[in-house]
Amino acid sequence: MIKGRIRNNIRRLRFEHSEMTQQQLAERVGVTRQTVIAIEQDKYSPSLEVAFRCALVFGVPLEQVFQYVWTDSESEGAA
Amino acid sequence: MDLSYQEKSVLGSLLAMVVVYGYYFAAVLRDAGRPEFDGGNVGRLIFAVIAIIVIEIVYHVVLALESKPEPKDERDLQIECKAYRNAYFLLATGAFLVIGCVIMAGLARDAAPTRIIVTPFITVNLVLFFMVLAELMKFLTQLSYYRRGLR
Repeated sequence: MIKGRIRNNIRRLRFEHSEMTQQQLAERVGVTRQTVIAIEQDKYSPSLEVAFRCALVFGVPLEQVFQYVWTDSESEGAA
Repeated sequence: MDLSYQEKSVLGSLLAMVVVYGYYFAAVLRDAGRPEFDGGNVGRLIFAVIAIIVIEIVYHVVLALESKPEPKDERDLQIECKAYRNAYFLLATGAFLVIGCVIMAGLARDAAPTRIIVTPFITVNLVLFFMVLAELMKFLTQLSYYRRGLR
């Protein structure tokens, strides 16, 4: 099985969008500010629905917000 | 430490349980030799249940006034699910232990130690103890996931 981690660019995208605060993003996405903090710190992987809502708020494709980074050496070799 | 509304809610409930049931079970330990409930034991149990309800209501009213209440989001619900799973395993283990004690005592009626264990007073309090323990496990699991993160 491929092993990896979900990474995100939310912090960078927030600053590129008029320095949007975590609270503003949380309200637009429909989660709490603590959940936005957890996502930014890679402590929580959101559901597909929340991930798509983040992409919609920033007006970019999903893969510009979230990326799946392989951590398994075997998979990295195969890639 | 920046705590969310849900974390504060869980922390308050945890402390209320520890204080109220700590007091209750300290009294139970003092009366452990009694075979049956008396007025004092029943009174303490009713007091503990009412105290928990009152403390929870007052705490959550104060919490709602002090910080804006937030509805649970998907992360809160996921953490709650994991917490309920741990609490369920603890409760099930406790239930099997109590059932085992009752069955063993029935099989060996003359064994003094087992006879003490299955007095109604101890049996009821053991069940209650595991219910409280399961609830504490739920709160501690929630707090742990809120701090550690869900990965």
